[in-house]
Amino acid sequence: MRDIEGIVQSNEEVARGTFLLRLACELPPCSPGQFVMVKVNSGYEPFLRRPFAILLRQEHALEFLYKVKGRGTRLLSELRPGEAVGVLGPLGSGFTIPEEHEEPVYIAGGTGLPPILSLAETLRRGILIFGAQTGGDIPLLSRIEAIEGIRINLTTEDGSMGWKGIATDMLDTVLQEAKGPVTLYACGPKGMLRTVSETAQRVGSRCEVSLEEYMSCGFGVCSGCVVETTGGNLRVCREGPVFDSSRLIWS
Amino acid sequence: MELIMDTTVVITPSLTLKNPIMSASGTFAYGEEFSEIFDLSLMGAVVTKGLSLNPKKGNPTPRVFETPCGLINAIGLENIGVDAFVRERLPFLRQFDVPIIANFFGSVLEEYEQTAEKLNIDGISALEMNVSCPNVKKGGIEFGKDPGTLFSLISKVRSVTDKPLLIKLSPMVTDICEMALAAQEAGADAITCANTIPAMAIDEETRRPVLGNITGGLSGPAIKPVSLKLVWDVHKCVRIPIIASGGIVSYRDVIQFILAGATAVEIGSAALRDPLCFSRIIRDIEDYLARHSLERISDLIGKLDVS
Repeated sequence: MRDIEGIVQSNEEVARGTFLLRLACELPPCSPGQFVMVKVNSGYEPFLRRPFAILLRQEHALEFLYKVKGRGTRLLSELRPGEAVGVLGPLGSGFTIPEEHEEPVYIAGGTGLPPILSLAETLRRGILIFGAQTGGDIPLLSRIEAIEGIRINLTTEDGSMGWKGIATDMLDTVLQEAKGPVTLYACGPKGMLRTVSETAQRVGSRCEVSLEEYMSCGFGVCSGCVVETTGGNLRVCREGPVFDSSRLIWS
Repeated sequence: MELIMDTTVVITPSLTLKNPIMSASGTFAYGEEFSEIFDLSLMGAVVTKGLSLNPKKGNPTPRVFETPCGLINAIGLENIGVDAFVRERLPFLRQFDVPIIANFFGSVLEEYEQTAEKLNIDGISALEMNVSCPNVKKGGIEFGKDPGTLFSLISKVRSVTDKPLLIKLSPMVTDICEMALAAQEAGADAITCANTIPAMAIDEETRRPVLGNITGGLSGPAIKPVSLKLVWDVHKCVRIPIIASGGIVSYRDVIQFILAGATAVEIGSAALRDPLCFSRIIRDIEDYLARHSLERISDLIGKLDVS
């Protein structure tokens, strides 16, 4: 974990309300699923940093995707090239890389795309299901389609792109297509994660989910973002955000 | 001649801090995470997360909510319990050249007493007692809201420990001086002024409370002017040192609190946002002393000019 500066290189709207931010930034090496806490302003309003999954980390650059939801992300969306933000990271624990003989199946819903895309871009194999509300909400489609070795399945709730429905509707079909054992990786709404987790249990596959939780510190000191697990309360920002789904207690 | 700046402050004869900057309980966990990005030895003191006799699971989520210039938290004093702290976490903290102040609490007098006894050991420099907890034997009224109850609680704890004893008061009382005086008379060595301010948040769309616990405690720069006035009030009524807490984010805040009567300060919420703020503030205090040609920070304690 380091507290460093990031200089905006580009900050563009890549889908309705979703921005791709690229920073010049010397973040230490990290793994897919880890995240950073970004300080979007130098004053005290808003007071807290905002957590964002790392989409891509290079030696001198960092990329992440964010959706404008509140004050922090609105301020972030107004940043122009050359402006600075504070970056604390890398934080949390990332995904476990699957064994050679296991086929990765990625399931992303809505704003849960970045950590999943990061993993898919790293592994370059497996099957991806990405569900959005509507076609206009899907960011970086050409980038997703350009990942070699990945089969892609899109779903939209309004049917404007790909299959009409939600990401988990396609899960059983995809699992039947898969050759040999699979490992599931998911990030998205709680209901989706629960369905994926139950499916994994039913078919006997390993499953890792990345949780999104309201955070204040992001590095484990406030215990604000805990989740109930078979091993007691664990901090989403520290022991997570990626958890083996069999350890989570869904309430 | 080069000016030698002295940032040390004395809480008690056995508790001298190399500078007035301390962590605030509940925002520093047990120190491991912060030690990953700076050397804890540079701090005046480290205050641990609140410890109880038995482990405590804490409140349901959501536990934190951002508000203008601050946040409300309702963590629920989640902690691993005093025994696990002493066994598993204290050895790590002891590697650093920094006084360790163990914050603790209870739900009945006996729990306070037993926890304090277990902390009366080598490696613990002082105890900080959280008295903003409901007294389950007295219908849930906070220990720190009645001077008589507070006096008996502190007297009892005083009799089982020879460590310097800091009392962290609640800001939500009719007259904080009554509480501070009760603490002083019962043998407290210092007053921490003060805990978070009771607060809540409501989501009008869902018509539900935002926090799992419904209510919580407000902290951050939003409460600083309130804390400053509390420290000023307490300074006028007690002899024992005051440790200020509530919304401190910069050296300017630290100097203001010291002028109002504080001997040291605790930094909490600011460190959630800026984990490196401790070292920055210590450096800035040295610059302030140099800029004002002051030799000792302790010369500023209570020196607010009201003429």
